[in-house]
Amino acid sequence: MTQAQESSAHHPVEASFRDPSGYLFSLDGDLYRQVNLIYQDHYARLIDSGLYQTLVDRGLLIPHQEVDITPLDPASAWRVIKPERVDFISYPYEWSFSQLKDAALATLEIQKLALAHGMTLKDSSAYNIQFHRGVPVLIDTLSFEVYSEGEPWVAYRQFCQHFLAPLSLIALRDVRLAQLLRIYIDGIPLDLASQLLPGKTRLDMALQMHIHLHAASQKRFASSVLPKERQMSKNAMLGWIDSLESAVKKLRWSPAGTAWGEYYTETNYTPAGLEHKKALVGDFLRQIQPRRVWDLGANTGLFSRVASQIGAYTIAFDIDPGAVELNYQECRKNGETNLLPLLVDLTNPSPGIGWGNRERLAFGERTSADAILALALIHHLAIANNVPLGRLASYLRELGRWLIVEFIPKEDSQVQRLLASRQDIFPEYTQAHFEGIFAANYTIHRAEAIQDSLRTLYLMEVRH
Amino acid sequence: MTISIITTLALFISTNGKTNAAYLDPGSGSFILQLLLAALVGGAFIIKTYWKKITGFFRKDSPREKGGDEE
Repeated sequence: MTQAQESSAHHPVEASFRDPSGYLFSLDGDLYRQVNLIYQDHYARLIDSGLYQTLVDRGLLIPHQEVDITPLDPASAWRVIKPERVDFISYPYEWSFSQLKDAALATLEIQKLALAHGMTLKDSSAYNIQFHRGVPVLIDTLSFEVYSEGEPWVAYRQFCQHFLAPLSLIALRDVRLAQLLRIYIDGIPLDLASQLLPGKTRLDMALQMHIHLHAASQKRFASSVLPKERQMSKNAMLGWIDSLESAVKKLRWSPAGTAWGEYYTETNYTPAGLEHKKALVGDFLRQIQPRRVWDLGANTGLFSRVASQIGAYTIAFDIDPGAVELNYQECRKNGETNLLPLLVDLTNPSPGIGWGNRERLAFGERTSADAILALALIHHLAIANNVPLGRLASYLRELGRWLIVEFIPKEDSQVQRLLASRQDIFPEYTQAHFEGIFAANYTIHRAEAIQDSLRTLYLMEVRH
Repeated sequence: MTISIITTLALFISTNGKTNAAYLDPGSGSFILQLLLAALVGGAFIIKTYWKKITGFFRKDSPREKGGDEE
């Protein structure tokens, strides 16, 4: 360790405090994980048993390197590891159904492999899974402990609350119930899930056992001390995991047939207009060469893919769980590695939740983008949600340096549709006013009319 | 009704031995449910595993047993 390293500032990561096995910290902009002395044996088993390599080879665990730097707390530390960096930390309430389902199945696959190597997962938090290069990956290297036969699965409650309850509620009741995860940071309480699920789920063996009986058992044994004799054989444990896996695999949700479904069929572009818009977006992006692009109001990701295909790590945010689901399915089908669809309502983006409101960060606090795409978005925020243009500009400028934004005038049929059912209280919603307001925040580099439409596409850069 | 099933099953459980050292509270009810139903689920799993082996043996041309890939 050099003197310079020792004098640098270590910053603990606020979400990393529950598990005494170790802690995350940042140092000079890099992320590290301190492994504590008390976790030494478990860590050694993870490596020596070959479990670490197996999981990394299968893309289920984030790879890391052991490094020689001063730990966050030298008194308790055994060693320090440097995990590969995930591009964007997202949370389960921002995932579509299939993203949550894939994360659940990855967790169970990891548990099966762990058991095959004499270890077990000691937690199964959905927050420990992140989408990295397009697939769900466990980011908490210290989630394993040596398996002692006879022990039930310590993380069973957490798995049901974080995964099975929201997945079954989406599949069998209503997709919007997934947002309960935003309120309950340790997953949906099982008695609540049990009440909300349709009665017919009591006839389903797996859901009866893992949700309904589970909730009843929690109530019945709430104040009981744990029975001390361990009676769960390894075979029973494997059966238990298999039963959870079947339950998860059986759950399905498809946006087709719901209120969602007709996406690009409902735009009012001519085929030539749409191609022209794609070409312009690609042209602007090539001009600025962003590494990270956020597409706000991305729908199913038509324009996000213009960005991801020229090599930018792109996040496609949309308010509609159906659009995010279709987008994610497309990503999986094509094996896309640098496009992440996420669910975000820009009029009420993810807040900071958990301890001190700092455990899970708010939407705008995690990282910023190099370029923001705001295509066919402004009229939704300005007219459907009454957000003044000035507030819009000052919000967007915080998210990234470059802005590719489309202005759709009142005469456009999509805006007319928004105004059809309400009084037009937006005398300032004009192209001239929009340009004036945005020019106060941004330098406007380009403004191009989109073919066969009344719309204009702008390339802007934040003005300091 | 579910409570009475659990209470009946609870009669079959015995208690003595060591405690768990995990940092996460497993939840007494979640822990006990697994102990109560372990034999049942374990038995069903053995049957399922053998059934797969038997059907796999007769379906020689579908070697998809291994790996446990998704659906």
